[in-house]
Amino acid sequence: MPVSRLLYPLYQLGNPQLRIFRPNWFLTLVRPGTEQPPDTVQFRIPMEMTKCDIKNYLENIYNVPVGAVRTRIQMGSNKKRNHRNQKIKQPDYKVAYVQLAQGQTFNFPDIFPEKDKTPEEGSMEDMEQKFMEDERQRQKLDPRRGGVTEWFGL
Amino acid sequence: MAASSSAGRILTLCKQFQNVFRISSAINTHYCTASLTKYQPRLYSPVSAVSQCRALHTTVSRRGLDQFFDHPENWGETNVKSGAPWTAKQLRTKSNEDLHKLWYVLLKEKNMLLTLEQEAKRQRLQMPSPERLKKVSRSMVRVETVVKERETALRLLQTGQEKGRPGAWRRNMFGYAYWYRYKEYAIPWYMNKRYKRKRFFTPKFVQPHIRLRLEKHLREKARSATLQRGTRSKLKEKFPQMKVSAS
Repeated sequence: MPVSRLLYPLYQLGNPQLRIFRPNWFLTLVRPGTEQPPDTVQFRIPMEMTKCDIKNYLENIYNVPVGAVRTRIQMGSNKKRNHRNQKIKQPDYKVAYVQLAQGQTFNFPDIFPEKDKTPEEGSMEDMEQKFMEDERQRQKLDPRRGGVTEWFGL
Repeated sequence: MAASSSAGRILTLCKQFQNVFRISSAINTHYCTASLTKYQPRLYSPVSAVSQCRALHTTVSRRGLDQFFDHPENWGETNVKSGAPWTAKQLRTKSNEDLHKLWYVLLKEKNMLLTLEQEAKRQRLQMPSPERLKKVSRSMVRVETVVKERETALRLLQTGQEKGRPGAWRRNMFGYAYWYRYKEYAIPWYMNKRYKRKRFFTPKFVQPHIRLRLEKHLREKARSATLQRGTRSKLKEKFPQMKVSAS
């Protein structure tokens, strides 16, 4: 079965199971907005996918044991307006809540942890940082003036 | 874990690794799933001794959901190194099984990048190296074209048809001829009421409209030709030694 076909073949009783090779669907794992039970994973999925599709997708491609899947369609807002006062539509998307089987839990990790960026000696970043510090030092006023700006004479 | 140890050695951007998957460096240690262990060692074996070796992460992610995220070492970085996208020329040298596997590798990588993008938007931070998304999308498109080429070639040899989906040239009500692609129905066309309402011929009363359309089209063509001629003659006046391109 080709990938991007707009038409599913007609199914009649007794036909072979529909197989999809090279699926063109991409899932986005999102952090839940409201509190979810520990075994629930939240995805943003393309509109064309169904609950069965998600189950098969995750089980076959990711080897994730899927228990139950619930989907809903989130409407993108049409309220914002641009500089011409025309309404701007945010795209709609489908959300899937997947409950993992076999008692597994999932906690959305912190992907952007704070890292101390101490550049190593002699590298470009180190030289840049030193240069910027030097510039900032030059811009500062004479400390002997005690915080008084240059506007006041003498 | 021969696959993962040799994969760890690959994670440099040496130009010699032409045959290795040119995707984000994190992907090779990350995806030690069943699909990758079947790879022939030829694909991953280094051509020569590599001086820089990236520290190997021996804990393989058994839980599938970890594949939606990058290597934990890359979390918090501002730039993640990644190679060039696959070109169609390179892909044509690969076997069908390899292309099939590559499709899924690219799919998982794209899923990971999309989750990263969404999380970055959520945390109001910049996504590290967003050009990876474009690279992966283009590679996937090229894989698709190569697979389609092979399918059409096979179909031509086996059946003599170049298109998989049957179709025909038909004329619609407005006088336009177009390639109508057949659709599967459970009932024949003469029992399909909605299909019969669609007319694949041009009624007589549309002929004047077609004539007017043709006149408009010819008038536009003539107008654009005279305009071009006029601009060219003016330019020739101003710059007599100009070489006019034959267009």
